[in-house]
Amino acid sequence: MTLQRYTRSVDGTIPISALLYGDEDSYASQDGVGIYDGVQKSINHQNGTVYVTTHRLFYIDTTKPHSRSFALDLSSIVRTQYYAGLFTSSPKVTIYLTQETSEIMDSDETSESWLCEVCDFRNPPGSSPSGAKCALCGVPRSKAHSAAPIPPRAVSAPPSSAHLLSSSPPAPSAGRLKEVACPACTFLNHPALTECEICGTALTHAALPMKSAPSSRPGTPIPEGAGDENSMLRLSFRRGGDKALYAVLKRSLLGKAWQVRAKTIGQRTTSTNVERFGIDGLVRGVETSAQSAQLDMNDALKDLDALMVKAREMVRLAGELNERLTVVAGLNASSGGTEPDTATFIRSSLVQLGLQMTDVPVTLDMAHDEKRWYEQLARELAGVLQGTGGKNGIGMMRNRGIIPLDEVWGGWNRARGVALLTPSQFLQVLPHLPAYTHPAIAERTFHSSNLRVLHTPTYTPAAFAARLHGMLLISGSRTTLDIAQEENVPVGLVAEMVDEAEAQGVVCRDEAEHGEVSWWVNDFQGYVWDGQDT
Amino acid sequence: MSFSTYKTPSGFLLPSIHSAPPFFTQQPNAATQVVFTEQWTRLILAYARYRRLFTVRVEDAEVSGGEWDEVLRNPRINRRLMPGQLAHILSVMVSENLAMYEPAKQTRATLLYWRLPEEWAEVLYEWQVVNTGQLNTILTFYEISEPPVPSELSGIPQSLLRSAIAVLVKGGRAQLISISDGDGVRFFPRNAK
Repeated sequence: MTLQRYTRSVDGTIPISALLYGDEDSYASQDGVGIYDGVQKSINHQNGTVYVTTHRLFYIDTTKPHSRSFALDLSSIVRTQYYAGLFTSSPKVTIYLTQETSEIMDSDETSESWLCEVCDFRNPPGSSPSGAKCALCGVPRSKAHSAAPIPPRAVSAPPSSAHLLSSSPPAPSAGRLKEVACPACTFLNHPALTECEICGTALTHAALPMKSAPSSRPGTPIPEGAGDENSMLRLSFRRGGDKALYAVLKRSLLGKAWQVRAKTIGQRTTSTNVERFGIDGLVRGVETSAQSAQLDMNDALKDLDALMVKAREMVRLAGELNERLTVVAGLNASSGGTEPDTATFIRSSLVQLGLQMTDVPVTLDMAHDEKRWYEQLARELAGVLQGTGGKNGIGMMRNRGIIPLDEVWGGWNRARGVALLTPSQFLQVLPHLPAYTHPAIAERTFHSSNLRVLHTPTYTPAAFAARLHGMLLISGSRTTLDIAQEENVPVGLVAEMVDEAEAQGVVCRDEAEHGEVSWWVNDFQGYVWDGQDT
Repeated sequence: MSFSTYKTPSGFLLPSIHSAPPFFTQQPNAATQVVFTEQWTRLILAYARYRRLFTVRVEDAEVSGGEWDEVLRNPRINRRLMPGQLAHILSVMVSENLAMYEPAKQTRATLLYWRLPEEWAEVLYEWQVVNTGQLNTILTFYEISEPPVPSELSGIPQSLLRSAIAVLVKGGRAQLISISDGDGVRFFPRNAK
């Protein structure tokens, strides 16, 4: 009986190391051990190997390891007794087991996967019951394994639990002694309850046992025989090794690794180096990274602040240096000093760094430097526009005579890739452009829309007007679309150019009713009346 | 690209510009528009003189089937003068004293001065002296605008006739007389004074 109540069947064909919990260590083993269930020999457990671990005591049967092996939780042992043996009697270790607090699970759940109560995640086996946590949500494993999917094994379950009709989950059988019977309906309530779970009647914990109640009423059964003999096991060491194993067993019991384990788990929940899984782990991971990002950011901003302070010092220093140089230059002016070059260099560097000295105007020297810079930029832009291939590919205006400014700006910056130019810098480069391009590329602004374009000489207002005039003379009339196709220029640009030609009086429009505008040569300026004589 | 003149069924020779499509479109370019307005003014006056039309209305451009269709429309190029543009042309003509709004205080109908009131006065006087020799006799307005023998003055609107007579009165060659059945006029010899 004791065997059935306190032990759990294990599959002895599995190597012992695979049966251990993640936090369990095996200390010692001894073969040739027989088991006494109480004072009687247990017939089925007379030749096996006993293993002592930090948490459990294993008995692996030698003949039928699959069906006759079992494990016993050390936590259920209250004391042990050693008997050295006499004559034919083998040395024995008597183990007295607790009658009240033992927590024998219905099933062999530690070596099986289990379902989390909260998120229904099926957790892999491998951790002792006290320390197990759901790998997905981090909720500790419930003591009452209502959601445990594995049906109770007949071997380890008390016989009477098979016909339970209780609405409460199968409770640990050994906890029955403290259950409180309801004075009204006799239901055996959990000791924590103050009211009957069924009828709501107030419970008195000193209630007398209900003599009239049937013994098989709802609830887990009262263990048969609570006597000392029934809560005792004996290990008979038929091949010796008893002393060594007993010593290890004592040490394991003193170590109370199962309690330590539970405690450390409780402490470790706040520490960050615990390996975590699932949502819990993800949330924790995000928190951690956010925290570290915040720290990094603070550090970085501190650096930036420091840099700003340094920069301000630099500017002041440069300003002082500049003043001194100017004074020296003033002194040397008569003698033709060469100092201004240095001053110019400092000033222009500051300007290019964007560090403007408030009290120093932009001088001609600086302007001179900038001019050179813009000229170089213009040369680069010319390459982008008229290049013949190579690094930047074919120039943007190689096959096009007219191109909007925004497109040029975008294309140029794309070609540069780094150190992009602002639109204002771009506009300052444009006046230098015709000098570096052949044919000269000039800028042009359409009056009606203020659209700005770059164009080759072919698209100056005069050249385009002349071409348009010739085209219309030959063909009579043309729509904007026709002209755009003929010129191979976007319609929008052609419309702008034709509008300008119209403003110059080169062409005139013809708006048919509900029709498109077509353009005619404006030859009516010097028209001579050729109609009816008056 | 050249445009040709066209003789209408009524025998009027339309100028070549009338067959140019842009001629029928309001031009944003002011200089071009001035040229076109000028040519339209000339065309309208020439046609009015040819057909002896004294008035033109903006409606003539809106509704087809009127006396002005031959000028305001060109079915050969599928163009017509837009009412708005005609109104613009008329306003220019009024400002140049080539027409006047009739009746006054509106801008949709004009009396055309293909002859100025001064010219009409001369025509009236010549007709009076040469064709009828009825000096010193009194003529009613009706007798002048609807003479038994068709004259250049046939169908002349009363307002135009009145301003022509006013020119003669100013020159002392006629006198406006009120008689029972409307106004009458008496002409004096040129050298009467």
